[in-house]
Amino acid sequence: MEKRDTLLIVDDVMINRELLKDIFENGEYKILEAADGEEAIQILDEHKDEIALVFLDLVMPKKNGLEVMHHMSLNNMINTIPVIMITGEATVETDVKAYELGAADIIYKPFEPAVVTRRAKNIIELFEHRISIEKELELRTQELFESKKRIEQSNNFLINALSSVVEFRSLESGEHIQRVKKFTRIMLRHWRALYGEEQFTDEQIELIVNASALHDIGKIAIPDNILLKPGKLTDEEYTEMKKHTIYGCQMLEKFKQEENEFYRYCYDICRYHHERYDGRGYPDGLKGDEIPIWAQVVSIVDVYDALVSKRVYKPSFSIEETFRMIHNGECGTFSPKLLKCFDDAKEEFIQNTTKEQMGEEA
Amino acid sequence: MIEELYKKINGNYEIAISRMQNDERILKYLKFFLMDESYKGLEDGMNSGDCEAAFRGAHTLKGVCQNMAFTALSTVVEQITEELRAKDFEKAKQTFPQVEEEYKKVIDEINKII
Ligand SMILES: [Fe+2]
Ligand SMILES: [Fe+2]
Repeated sequence: MEKRDTLLIVDDVMINRELLKDIFENGEYKILEAADGEEAIQILDEHKDEIALVFLDLVMPKKNGLEVMHHMSLNNMINTIPVIMITGEATVETDVKAYELGAADIIYKPFEPAVVTRRAKNIIELFEHRISIEKELELRTQELFESKKRIEQSNNFLINALSSVVEFRSLESGEHIQRVKKFTRIMLRHWRALYGEEQFTDEQIELIVNASALHDIGKIAIPDNILLKPGKLTDEEYTEMKKHTIYGCQMLEKFKQEENEFYRYCYDICRYHHERYDGRGYPDGLKGDEIPIWAQVVSIVDVYDALVSKRVYKPSFSIEETFRMIHNGECGTFSPKLLKCFDDAKEEFIQNTTKEQMGEEA
Repeated sequence: MIEELYKKINGNYEIAISRMQNDERILKYLKFFLMDESYKGLEDGMNSGDCEAAFRGAHTLKGVCQNMAFTALSTVVEQITEELRAKDFEKAKQTFPQVEEEYKKVIDEINKII
């Protein structure tokens, strides 16, 4: 940024302008003059990037000093161009008003050259300093934003790596988790649109989406003979299999972060994604809205993707059939609100369900 | 010469010289003072009974006189400014001849030296 090198002197009385000009005669600054408020505004608009300081008379024809200040506030000049009010007498009202409108200082006639130059110098330096600090701050904010983005990227990478370990071990298709994430995001956006803007912020939605990737992380603790068993599980084996919800939470608790929103979402989703709205789910038998909404969302999404995908042990169901089964309570029970949201999102579920996952030739 | 002028019009030369640095520059401002129109505004306002216009003229003239360190003139102008600010036109009318007298004195003295 090039240095501001111009002073604007605004006073309707020529002698006053001349006196101020003489005070700054050493040539350090270029001088512009205005004899009324309108002229001042015109010059300000034209030279707003060069003006280092304005001396502004209060009582003037056409537009007065307060109106000039008002124009400067409206046009964002007041933070970059300091204004020194010049006034004949000190009245509390005009002083208060001037400071309110953003005057940096007030000097009273008659002018004392030493006072005027010292104040002007101080204020110009103060503003230069402030502007450079603001520039610096802007730069830092930008840097911070970029480093936050980098952290987010590596977080995503770690979450994906972690969740794919489970998939890899259970010989599931690697796409399941990516789809759970995608469908969770779709559901949450429809939820927000249906039930009020206040519900989730974009950032919260992304946290929940990332947490959804870890819903089956506890399966890592399930022995191979159960996890990889091709046939139907015995009751005993099923009881062990259901514990993946608890195991997931136990793992998370080892690196528990109090008051951390992301931890909360991960924990709830791991633990409650097999709970049912009617209270007949596991592991805790929570009922109704005791189940956090993010866990309910991941639950319905998980069921949808399992039904619609072709697996070694089952064919895929059509999307229509899947919607019907879920509505009928054939694969879990869900809240009316959630089902309404599910219907609302149907179009996007169809668009994002691929032929490959349904086992058809593309 | 300039110092003498200030003495004759009851001004404060010390302040004037500290403010304007040298006689040459004071002279420049004395010439400017001849061109200043605020007295005319005050006079017109007083003659036409326009209190508001008279006040604006007086107010401006006061600032100029203070800057020039014309102490005597500045004192009476200050008085009439306050009277006009309070919209006490009758009182201002009584004060105005003094303003006129002091102003004429200043103008005459300036005219003598330029
Ligand atoms: Fe699960
Ligand atoms: Fe799953």
